[in-house]
Amino acid sequence: MTEKVVTLAHGAGGKQTSELIEQVFKAHFSNPEFTSDDAAVLDVGEGQIAMSTDGFIVSPYEFNGGNIGKLSICGTVNDLACMGAKPLYLTCSFIIEEGFPLDKLEEIASSMEKTAREAGVKIVAGDTKVAGKGQVDHIFITTTGIGKLQKDVRTSGAAAKPGDAILVTGDIGRHGCTILLARENLGIEADIKSDCAPLWGTVASMLETTKDIHVIRDATRGGVGTVLYEIAAESQAGVRLYSEALPVDGAVKGVCGMLGLDPLYLANEGTMVVIAPKEVADALLQTLRQGKYSKNAAIIGEITDVMPGKVIVKTEIGSETLLPQPGGELLPRIC
Amino acid sequence: MEKTKKTAKELIQDYDGPHLRIMEVCGTHTHEIFRLGIRKLLPPQVELISGPGCPVCVTPVGYIDEAVMLALEHQAVICTFGDLIRVPGTKMSLSEARAKGARLQVVYTPLDAVVYAEEHPDTQVVFLAVGFETTTPSACLAVKKAMEKGLKNFSLLVANKTMPNAYQALKGSADAFLYPGHVHAITGTKDCKKMEEEGVSGVVAGFTARELLTALAVTLEKFKEGKPFFVNCYPRVVTDAGNPSAQALIDEVMEPCDSEWRGLGVIPGSGQKLKKEYASCDARMKFNLPKIEGRSNPACRCGDVLQGKCRPSDCKVFGKGCTPQHPIGACMVSNEGACSAYYQYGLEE
Amino acid sequence: MCVGLAAKVVGIKNGMAVIDASGARREVSAELLQDLEPGDYVMVHAGIAIAKITDDDEDETDELMEML
Repeated sequence: MTEKVVTLAHGAGGKQTSELIEQVFKAHFSNPEFTSDDAAVLDVGEGQIAMSTDGFIVSPYEFNGGNIGKLSICGTVNDLACMGAKPLYLTCSFIIEEGFPLDKLEEIASSMEKTAREAGVKIVAGDTKVAGKGQVDHIFITTTGIGKLQKDVRTSGAAAKPGDAILVTGDIGRHGCTILLARENLGIEADIKSDCAPLWGTVASMLETTKDIHVIRDATRGGVGTVLYEIAAESQAGVRLYSEALPVDGAVKGVCGMLGLDPLYLANEGTMVVIAPKEVADALLQTLRQGKYSKNAAIIGEITDVMPGKVIVKTEIGSETLLPQPGGELLPRIC
Repeated sequence: MEKTKKTAKELIQDYDGPHLRIMEVCGTHTHEIFRLGIRKLLPPQVELISGPGCPVCVTPVGYIDEAVMLALEHQAVICTFGDLIRVPGTKMSLSEARAKGARLQVVYTPLDAVVYAEEHPDTQVVFLAVGFETTTPSACLAVKKAMEKGLKNFSLLVANKTMPNAYQALKGSADAFLYPGHVHAITGTKDCKKMEEEGVSGVVAGFTARELLTALAVTLEKFKEGKPFFVNCYPRVVTDAGNPSAQALIDEVMEPCDSEWRGLGVIPGSGQKLKKEYASCDARMKFNLPKIEGRSNPACRCGDVLQGKCRPSDCKVFGKGCTPQHPIGACMVSNEGACSAYYQYGLEE
Repeated sequence: MCVGLAAKVVGIKNGMAVIDASGARREVSAELLQDLEPGDYVMVHAGIAIAKITDDDEDETDELMEML
C-alpha cells in the first residue's frame, strides 16, 4: 500500500482541491463562520480591533511539544494577546510541498483545531496551494488574526518606564533548544519540550489582576535578550537584568553548557516578557504562578534611566556588565 | 596573628599593591571575565590583557582560504566547530562560501565528522582541526577511528597549536599569566613550573565565577610578595601529570612543526601536523593544496591586540568597519575574541 | 579557548561514556581516562572526557583562600 500524499492536482483548484478542503480542513475547522464564499463576514461588535499576521516555516515541522500547526495558531494568538486583544478570528494559508503525506497534514490540521479551540479563536477562512517538489520545505503556514482590544488596556514596546519591573511568564529558551536538538545532528539527548502554547488565557488573567501593564511581548525569535533590547530602544530606557533570577530549565542549561549557547537568545513560543509598575509586579507574579502555562514566571529585572537603549546585567558575583547585543546565526561554540 | 578573612572578591577590590598586567591566555577566560563583569571590580593598577588563546582568533587567513578552496573547488563537505564559519578569509569566509554552494556541517566533536563520513561514503569529508592541547586529542582520535574503519573519504585540515613556545613568545607581555585550565588538564603543570623557574609568574585558573575570582586573588596576593610564583588554582581538574593517555595519543598521531599565529607570526615548534603514518588523512596532501598566503586587512590590529600591545579600542576599525556582524579581524569573530568581548560587553572605557 | 563541561558519568560501554549535565545527555569518548565508572564526574571537551574531576568548586577554592 502506498502512502497517500498531497499532489499538484490537490492545488489545481478542481475536484481534488475540493476533496482536500472537505476532508482535511473543513473536517477540522468547521464552525458557523467558516466560509465557502470568497471572504468571511464577521461581527466584531463595538470598539477597536487588533490585527496581526505571521508566516511559519519550521524545520522539522514536528517537534517535541507541538508541530507547525499548533505553532501557527499560537504565534498569531499570542501576538494579539500581547496587545491586550482577545483573539476572535483567524485565517490560515497553506503552502504544501508536493508529496507531503496526507496523514501528517491531517495531524497538523487537528492540532490547529485543538489549539484554536483552547485559545477561543475561530478559523474562518483558508487557502491551500501546492508547490512542486523542492520548492518549499515540506509545509509553510501563514495565519492572520483579529482580536478585540480589551477596555482600558494599552500595551506597547515604547511604554516601559524607569521604575517598572520586568517579568517573564515562564522559563526561557525551551522552544529554541528543542528545535536545535531536533534539527542539528548533535547527538544530545534531553527531555526538553517546546513551550509552544496559546497565551490569551495567561494574558487575560494578568489583565484581571491589573490593567496597569505597560508592555507585553512575545519572546519568540531571538529570545528574551532580543526582546529586551527592542524594548530598551523603543522606550528609550535602560534595562537592568538580574542574571540569577532568570528561570531556566535544568536540561536547557545542560544543552547550553555543552554548546556554549545562552538561553537568553533562544526562541520561546509560549513565554512572554511583561513590564509593569513595581507596585503591581508581585500581584502579577502570584497570578501567573497559578496559570497553566506560567508556573515558572519570575521577576527578572527592572527598567532604569541608566544607559537608555542598553541592557545591563547584574551578574552572579554582584558586578555589572552589558548584555551582548544579539545578532547573527546561532553557532555552537566549542573551542 | 589574625589572618585576613576577606573574600576573593574583596581581596581583588581592595588590592593596594604595585601596578601589574595579567594576561588571561585562554579565550574562555576572556569570555567569562567579561560575562561576569570581573573587570569592573579591578582597581586601576590592575590591567587584564586578553591573550592569544582563542583558536579562531589565531588561525591565519590562509587557513580559511584553504578550507574555502576544499569546499568550492574540491566539493568536500567541511565539518567544523561553529565559530570558524564566520572568520574572514582573503576573499570570503566559509559562511559566504556556503552562499556559493559550499557544504558545511557544524559538529560538536570531530568524532561526529567521522560518523558523517561513514554515512556518506561518496562524499569527501574534511574536518577543520584547530585548537590547542585540549582539542587536539579529539582530532587524533578521529583520525585513528577513520583509519581503523578504513574510511577513504575522511581527512583533517590541521592547524592545531601548542602552548609552551607561545608562552615563551609572550613572556614579556605581562607580569603574570592566568594559564588555561583545560590545556593543563592535558599537559599537566610542568610548563608553568618551568616558567616560574625562568622568573615568569602565573596561576592555572578554572572557569567558574568562584574559581576565576580565587585565581585572581591568589595572583594579586602572591604578586605583592615580589617573587616569581606558580600556583595551581584548578586542582579539581588539573594534576601535575595531566592526562598521560591524551599526551601519548597526540605523540602517536601528530608531530611538532612551525606554525603561523595570526598576529604573532610564525612561532617555531608551536604547531602540529600529522605524522607520516597518518598522511592519508592529511587534506593538504590528499587534495594537493597549493601553498596559500592569506592577506588580512592591513587596517586590522588583531596582532597587537593579541600581544597586549594595544587595546581593541585603539584599533582604527574597531566598532566602525569592524563589528561582530561584519568582522574584519578574527578577534571580532569569535565570542571569545578580545575585540568582540570589548565591543559586546563594553561597559568599561 | 576550550569550553569544558563538567558532567556526571551515567553509563559506560565500549570505550564510550554517557554523560549527564543537568538533564542533557550525550555519548562521549572515555578512551583517554582509565577506570571510569558511573557516578564519576568528568570534564568534557569536544566530545571527549579529558579529566576525572570533583564536581564542586567550593573545597578547592576554600583551600586556596586558606593558603593566603
